[in-house]
Amino acid sequence: MRIVVGIKWVPNTQAVRFDPKTGTLIRTGVPAIVNPHDLPAAELALRLRDEYGGEVIVLTMAPPPAVQGLEHILGMGADKAVLLTDRAFAGADTLATSYVIAEGIRKIEREIGKVDLAVFGQETIDSSTAHIGAQVASWLGWPYIYYVKNAKMVNGALRVERQLENAVETFDVGLPAVVSVAMKALKARPVRLSHKLRVKLEKPIIVWSNKDLGLDPRCVGLKGSPTIVSKVTYLPEVPRRKIVYKPKDPRDAARWILAQLFQDEKTREALHKALWG
Amino acid sequence: MSTQASPLDKPLKLEDLLQRNIWDVDEDPHIEIPMDDQEGLRKRALVHLCPAGCYTMIGDKVLFSYEGCFECGLCRVITPEDKIRWEYPKSGKGIQYRFT
Amino acid sequence: MDGVPGKFDVVVVGAGPAGSAAAYLLAKAGFKVLILERGRGAGSKELFGGKVYAPPLRDVWPGLDKEAPIHRWVTRERISFVRGSRVATIEYSLGRRVGFTTYLPELAKWMSDKAVEAGAVLVDEVRVDEIVVRDGRIVGVRSGPDTVEADVVVDAEGVNRLLLERLGLVERLNPSYVALGVKEVLNVGKGTIEERFALPKGEGLAWMVAGDVTAGIPGGGFIYTMKDTIAIGLVLHIGKAMEKAEAGQINKHVSRILEEFRLHPYFKQFWKDADVMEYGAHMTIEGGLRMVPKRLYAPGLVIVGDAAGLLLNTGYTVRGVDFAVASGRIAAEAIIEAFNRGGPTEENLRLYEERLKESFVWRELVRHRWIGRGMEDECYFTSMPGVLIRILEKLYEADYEEPTLIDALLESLAEEDISLTKLIMKLGSVVSKL
Repeated sequence: MRIVVGIKWVPNTQAVRFDPKTGTLIRTGVPAIVNPHDLPAAELALRLRDEYGGEVIVLTMAPPPAVQGLEHILGMGADKAVLLTDRAFAGADTLATSYVIAEGIRKIEREIGKVDLAVFGQETIDSSTAHIGAQVASWLGWPYIYYVKNAKMVNGALRVERQLENAVETFDVGLPAVVSVAMKALKARPVRLSHKLRVKLEKPIIVWSNKDLGLDPRCVGLKGSPTIVSKVTYLPEVPRRKIVYKPKDPRDAARWILAQLFQDEKTREALHKALWG
Repeated sequence: MSTQASPLDKPLKLEDLLQRNIWDVDEDPHIEIPMDDQEGLRKRALVHLCPAGCYTMIGDKVLFSYEGCFECGLCRVITPEDKIRWEYPKSGKGIQYRFT
Repeated sequence: MDGVPGKFDVVVVGAGPAGSAAAYLLAKAGFKVLILERGRGAGSKELFGGKVYAPPLRDVWPGLDKEAPIHRWVTRERISFVRGSRVATIEYSLGRRVGFTTYLPELAKWMSDKAVEAGAVLVDEVRVDEIVVRDGRIVGVRSGPDTVEADVVVDAEGVNRLLLERLGLVERLNPSYVALGVKEVLNVGKGTIEERFALPKGEGLAWMVAGDVTAGIPGGGFIYTMKDTIAIGLVLHIGKAMEKAEAGQINKHVSRILEEFRLHPYFKQFWKDADVMEYGAHMTIEGGLRMVPKRLYAPGLVIVGDAAGLLLNTGYTVRGVDFAVASGRIAAEAIIEAFNRGGPTEENLRLYEERLKESFVWRELVRHRWIGRGMEDECYFTSMPGVLIRILEKLYEADYEEPTLIDALLESLAEEDISLTKLIMKLGSVVSKL
């Protein structure tokens, strides 16, 4: 089977700091990484390929430095990579992005061969919309299943386990299909020397610009993006007070905690309600 | 991400200092110490000298958390060989220095 | 174990200064070179004080001055002695450009880019787990399930040298042979360095600090001016720090000791209002020859840079990057010569050690070999600066009558609990070995 994995090259948001003087985010010197939630998606794709044969193609729409991210997934064992890059793609919202990604998948089908499955991560760490998988499925007209924790082939269909809060649903879905993998569902395999070396020696990364895709410039990038972010408000951090109370007898600690909690009227009422209705 | 700045004219807490840095944290720990038999561990030295504060005391046990590690090797050097498993993180994970 | 496509002439472990220098020269000479780096891109695991000696780098990259990411050429060197809030400083204004400041992640990236431009293959995000031996000779390296073969392995793995230890070529690191460098990078704002340090435009300052800034742990402090930032830090003797911590004589975290240096009443003015951009640490070599492996070569292997123990810390200067680059150059030249003589046999690779021992690197290490042990002597770190400051205090802070110099000296010695004989002996021992 031929599986496409979509990844996003995102700033390592853990490192993005807030400048209280200017009220903006400090992004200088913040290195980008593969969106961590895309790694379980790559892992699922690789496992399916290892089990049933075929190839994994990793796909992204990003500026050229994202090659580093594609190399990371190739290093895990993906077979090919496609970088969709064009100045015209810049400033895209999820609609314009998913359009380009879907057209990228169509071009993969034309140039390389039929795609059976497209796999995405649950969401990205820098925008958390969880739109792309669903939107790509819509553009392609393929079925879509999300919160996927695992998948295997059964009688020519993909049997997908879907992780819900307190249940696991099982679906059989005909291919081609789009799935997005629940965050932390699968542990990503490490980068391997042999794969990474092949990347450096064979350079299996295909680069397509909008000239190659031939999309209407009004439908991609900023121009193709109807979403307007009118305002971003950062919540002030709640100052927390840490108190360490270490009595010899743990029962004293329990009494002390209850006393602390009951000091505050609101907490007292809430506790009362919770305990005695 | 912090939206509140700690005053710079006072000593910054270790958490505040570490917040300046970037890690891509691996899913697996690259360093492990035993939790049961901690005989021979130089606990006070680990707690005070590990520059990333990865070692903390919980009761009389020293607890190690690998997430904020600088991979400097100090803990390996001051710990008996059979009391520590020490590797660098794999797949390019771990600390990502920029201005050092 | 899976083999890997293609065999290389040379595999270099570690894309630091030593590894990239060797890889660059070998690739330029037409060798098929693979560099393996555990970090994400070269440089992401690098941390040092802040200053590099340029001449040994120019030997490898003649275009260094124009092309490398140089922050500032150091034209001022300062040494300060500190006791509490009292500070005595010596400043030296240099007549020429010998050293520059930089971020080592940037410089290491530049060096590895040079190697790649010259034709070396750089594979990052790959941790080497083992140097592979077959029939008594080193034939390559292993990472996870993959082995890559090479005629020569250049071990540039850095100070922790896990691979050499696993190979049995070196002992476990002795805590007394290594120091912990902790560092903060302070963002002072564009174009303010010159004003803050009264420096001519574009020029830089290197500043070593001795005294009680290390909270009684043998070591010292450093300050380097970068382009728009300041690097400050402490270097602490690990063996002694460990002993003191275990004896309950260190009651604060090492980051707190560094923070107190940042907020030192005298020094803090230089980085007023500056935010901390990054905080990090790295292990370094205490100096002297003690960390140098018994042999720097084996059949199919040469050892360079920090892994070879090649770093000199005299207290007033620290030389690591330039020694690393020089050892990488000498290794590359020896490997080229070895191939010309019929291959990288043990006999032919001995050239590397011979040439290293004829080089300035070795002469410097031999000349200053006493320093490693001197580093452990708290007298030099705390008491001597203390005595000096006490003398100056008595001379300059007298209300009506200032003492004679000799009285000030004797009183200060008594206060620091040092006898005159001990002082003379200590100073004599320093002077005789300088």
